[in-house]
Amino acid sequence: MDIKEYIQSGVIESYVLGLASAEEVIELEKLSMQYVEVRDAIDAFSQLIMRQLSEDAVVPPAEIKQQLLDKLADEFEQPKTPVLPINNLTAIPGEKTSGKVIKMVSLKAWRNVAAAAILLLLVSAALNFYYYNNYKQSTTKYQALLAERNTLQASNDDYHQTLNIIHDSTMHIVRMPGVPGKQDNMATLYWDTKTKDVYVYANTLQQIPKGKQYQLWALVDGKPVDAGVIANCNGICKMKNIPRAQAFAITLEKEGGSPSPTLTAMYVFGKV
Amino acid sequence: MPEKKQSIPIMAGTPNKYTESELVTLLKERQQNAFGYLYDNYSGSLYSVILSIITDRDLASDVLQEVFVKIWRQIETYDATKGRLFTWMMNITRNASIDTLRSKGYQNNQQNRELTDAVYESVGSVSTNTDKIGLRQLVYKLKQEYRVLVELAYFQGYTQEEISKIMDIPLGTVKTRLRSALIQLRELVKP
Repeated sequence: MDIKEYIQSGVIESYVLGLASAEEVIELEKLSMQYVEVRDAIDAFSQLIMRQLSEDAVVPPAEIKQQLLDKLADEFEQPKTPVLPINNLTAIPGEKTSGKVIKMVSLKAWRNVAAAAILLLLVSAALNFYYYNNYKQSTTKYQALLAERNTLQASNDDYHQTLNIIHDSTMHIVRMPGVPGKQDNMATLYWDTKTKDVYVYANTLQQIPKGKQYQLWALVDGKPVDAGVIANCNGICKMKNIPRAQAFAITLEKEGGSPSPTLTAMYVFGKV
Repeated sequence: MPEKKQSIPIMAGTPNKYTESELVTLLKERQQNAFGYLYDNYSGSLYSVILSIITDRDLASDVLQEVFVKIWRQIETYDATKGRLFTWMMNITRNASIDTLRSKGYQNNQQNRELTDAVYESVGSVSTNTDKIGLRQLVYKLKQEYRVLVELAYFQGYTQEEISKIMDIPLGTVKTRLRSALIQLRELVKP
């Protein structure tokens, strides 16, 4: 194809004026991409027409501009300062311009900022939720620890008391070894000679099944006297006050104790 | 831009010149200043295009508004690789004018016109003579057979196929004759 001929054929003018057929447009746009002469020819004629029309311009009625600005008001991005072209930095004489290039952030950029802010907020909210959960769990654990500490404190106090008691010089110690057949068992009884308080310590007593409990007896003039059931005490257990006794024994009774001992269920026995 | 008789108005606070690509960028960023600049610099040219097709001034004003709204809202469709911004705007303007011309409302208000000078001159009192406006004054100087073609194609908006039917001449002839007409028109434009 002779490009020069093509350019001079009138198709360029036809295209610029919007008179070219669909096929002519397709062909021309293809050639325009291939040949800079075609592009230049299009541009040259476009400028000619633009100049011609500018020379014969007819000023439209004055109110049209404002009507347009009002109509499109919602569609404008309003800059707060004048927008200057990047390549025109010289100040217009007589005008107070700073001469700086002020880059305006477009609506699009603000939308991105808003999106980022919302994202950060969501992330922060999620973290808050997570941390609060952790905090709640920690608080629960802490409370549990406190309770355990209190318990331990209490049992520690018990043990302290036990030591005090057994090292008291007014304490009478009665060893209570296991009876025949139950030699593995052993208990120690502490009898305060002044107050007559009785304390018992289960060194080794067989583990008892549910529903049963060990009971202490004081043998007074051949008759057994209930000295109390042995509870789950830390260290030594305080039993009933016994003014007089010749011996002590521990039997396994039902839970809560019984009024008279089951002699066949005796475990330990000790003479005063 | 070359020196012209009409001066480009300078708005306070805005620069006196944007390059076309700067203007397009700012329009796409929806800057009001860019729209104002566009109007100030091109409304006159585009108005003359409308007036060469629509004789009624009030209607022409409506079309001008319609055109600027279209340009503003369709700016994303402007493809700089296909030509200049002004060419694109000019074609939007011409098409909008022809659509209005062909609309039922317009047809009902106007009498049927013949494509002769006499008709235009006779109604000069009611509406503006279009034959001195825009490209019309150049087309006026064309050879008769060329003038009719350009009249039908450019100012009336008929396709080459439709012209071929109206004038009962082969499509190929329409094509070559139109091209020749435009070559001659171009000669008239040159200073």
